[in-house]
Amino acid sequence: MISDIQVMIAGYAGDGVLFTGNVLGKILKRQGWEVVTYRDFPSNIRGEAMNYTIRASLNKIYSRGDYIDVLMAFNCDAILRHIKSVGENGVILCEGSVTESVRLSPKKGRTFHKFPMRELAKKNFRSEIFKNTILLGGLCYILDLDMKIIREVLSEVFLKRKGKEIVEKNIQALRLGCDEAEKIIKEEERHSLEERPDKDRLFLSGDEAIALGALAAGCRFFAAYPICPATEIWQWLLKHIHKFNGLVVQTEDEIAAINMALGAAYSGVRAMTSTSGPGASLMMEGFSLAGMAEIPIVVAHVQRVGPSTGLPTRPEQSDLNQWVFGAHGDFPRIVLSPGTIEECFYFMADAFNLAEKYQCPVILLTEQNYGQNFYTVEKFDLSRVSIDRGMLLSQDELLKIEDYKRYALTENGISPRVVPSMANGIHMVEGNEHDEKGYRDEDEEIRIKMMNKRMTKLNIAAKDVIPPKLWGKEESDIGIIGFGSTICPIREAMDQLEEKGISTKYLQVRTLWPFSAAEVEEFMSSCNTVFVVENNYSGQLSRLIQGQGVECSRVHKINKYSGHTFRPVEIAESMLGVLEQ
Amino acid sequence: MKENSYHLHDPTWCRGCGIYGIFAALKKAAASLQIPPERMVIVTGIGCHGRLNNYFNAYGFHGLHGRVLPVAAGVKLANSSLAVLAVSGDGDAYSIGVGHFIHANRRNVNMICIVVDNRVYGLTQGQTSPTSQKGYVSVSSPFGSKETPLDGPRLAIVSGGTFVARGFSGIPEHLTALIIEGMTHNGFSLIEVLSPCVTHNKINTYKWFKEHIVNLDDDTNFSAKNKKKALEVLSDQSKIPIGLLYHEERPSFDDLSLPSDTPIALTKLDVDEKKLDAIMKDFM
Repeated sequence: MISDIQVMIAGYAGDGVLFTGNVLGKILKRQGWEVVTYRDFPSNIRGEAMNYTIRASLNKIYSRGDYIDVLMAFNCDAILRHIKSVGENGVILCEGSVTESVRLSPKKGRTFHKFPMRELAKKNFRSEIFKNTILLGGLCYILDLDMKIIREVLSEVFLKRKGKEIVEKNIQALRLGCDEAEKIIKEEERHSLEERPDKDRLFLSGDEAIALGALAAGCRFFAAYPICPATEIWQWLLKHIHKFNGLVVQTEDEIAAINMALGAAYSGVRAMTSTSGPGASLMMEGFSLAGMAEIPIVVAHVQRVGPSTGLPTRPEQSDLNQWVFGAHGDFPRIVLSPGTIEECFYFMADAFNLAEKYQCPVILLTEQNYGQNFYTVEKFDLSRVSIDRGMLLSQDELLKIEDYKRYALTENGISPRVVPSMANGIHMVEGNEHDEKGYRDEDEEIRIKMMNKRMTKLNIAAKDVIPPKLWGKEESDIGIIGFGSTICPIREAMDQLEEKGISTKYLQVRTLWPFSAAEVEEFMSSCNTVFVVENNYSGQLSRLIQGQGVECSRVHKINKYSGHTFRPVEIAESMLGVLEQ
Repeated sequence: MKENSYHLHDPTWCRGCGIYGIFAALKKAAASLQIPPERMVIVTGIGCHGRLNNYFNAYGFHGLHGRVLPVAAGVKLANSSLAVLAVSGDGDAYSIGVGHFIHANRRNVNMICIVVDNRVYGLTQGQTSPTSQKGYVSVSSPFGSKETPLDGPRLAIVSGGTFVARGFSGIPEHLTALIIEGMTHNGFSLIEVLSPCVTHNKINTYKWFKEHIVNLDDDTNFSAKNKKKALEVLSDQSKIPIGLLYHEERPSFDDLSLPSDTPIALTKLDVDEKKLDAIMKDFM
């Protein structure tokens, strides 16, 4: 019995690849399996090649696997493009016939079948659109899926939007696909996993987890401008935030988005915005204002490939510098980096709590790989979410204060905060340097005191942020360091190395600023060899480590900047290359 | 509340600056509407007008150059029970922040925006502004400005503005009336105020403005309900019309978007497990 399968659906943009993949992912999740998706699509609506990989397993999995077991292609070009990734005994189904040169490619045991989904759809339903459900029918046979589950998922997808008749037609198309596949697929070509109960699990993307996390954490105002791959966050929130008396505003640009969020946060509402690289560049000015005026806001940044417009729908980790070092002036900021879908959810509450406790901007930095891919996770535990509004005073508390000062100088730098409409609290919020009451002041002594006050908050926050997490064998002397979603291929690579008898450990940095220098230094001193694995060209994390004065002579950088995530085997092989020297 | 309830400090703008007239009109309007100072938020941009917060007794937000309008909209949408005033300048609203200006007019959030138009950059020592007239000579256009000046009210009307007015700081009673009317309008109210800069702008002086303005109140044929007419009077380059130029009743963004009458900021904040649990089912 196999425990792991990987399916790829390939075609051109406009073929319905994303839709089919999303439905298949949900079906495989309902089969009780662990599911991870990898959506590889261009920044284009129609015409360019794209594919959707879905991996399902009986075991815990973290990323796409190295090889494809079943390739379903809407055209022969897709076969040529992906044949290298199809594993031994892989099954390939294609709309048209496969040429002889493809058949003769070297890997053993692969089988090819003509599976005319488009033709079947046109002949039986007079509409090409049913090709996608016929494809699902084919997979239903190959993967031995539960027909009841597929019916259930198809009804959920189509009933509300398209009505009963369309559901029935899709179920007919599904049967047709299944029957046609049975005619051509031999029993030994089928890849089936054991069905398991699907209980208390979710199947969602990182963007959706961030949105849900924001809602749970009390975010009630969201302003943003559309940008790949972060838009899903607020599009999802739009469907639900009104139930909590909250609002999403689509602004004219990212400058307006961050400033509107600042206005709402100043009014006492938990407010945030979301963006990606180019939008973040426009937000830098507002980011600096949040630091100076001590306004608690949260920015969720889903990284894509840069510089400039880059590759808008593809993953990279090259915006670390932007938030850790970006914007004019010195001011406190906190940059969190979730490494799992669960952390995308739970870190939102941390982000809002830290923002309000330390009255500074907090950034949640993730990547397209999480933003737009779907993963199975345990249902989130809402009892783990708590709301801490820091030094936000109530009206009663404020009335007891004789001479309220918004920027009162305190030992830890944190001043009690009040919001407009409160009696006895009138003050200024200032982007210029200001005195304790918030009024502009250019006195040298005040300037020094206010700078020290703001920066002191960061020293206190450093002890309160999310520490790095250690994975793997603690006693190993081979260490890996990384942040964000690279944990997925890293953990898979660690398993591959373990099978070869090489134990490793991984330090997942979860707060990029204030940087966990002591923990990283301690980890590095316990290793003979250290690998810093990053999805970027320059090694922004390794430079950050170096900049903190950590001894880095034993560091080997493993970087990928092709617009794709690492395959686990790429990391494992790069590490072996160094270790075998 | 009397006028002096809003008077925090005596201003230190240049003697004779047009902003004094605006400061006085604002205090009068607030007193006339009996708005408690703690229920008022004044958001200002960067420029001489930005000092207003230091003198006016209300909650104040002095942020970035050009970003007044999105901040003010955020404040208002988060707490719709507040009276929100955005005070901006010709550089702030019509140059660096012109994108926000256009969208604020079409978005129509229920707040008032006062653009202090002195036709020059005062705080940075006299550069040409987007409302400086063609040929205007300054440190930034020593051979005369080559650009056509921008007409804020006209831009507001074509951008979908619902209340567009122009006042003159030299006629404070007229200005006060416009501000009161703007503050009671449900939606985004623009009041551009012609405000002489006595230090840097030697062309557009009090005398010059008095010679060029025409008060629409004196024109019996004019109706602020007529968009075509408003654009017509604004297209006459020889005169500067003051008064209510255009007024339209349209549901505000607040009416159309806010989920309830309870201001967001006044909603109890907790982790509503029951509601969240029901939403999580979408992902199962």
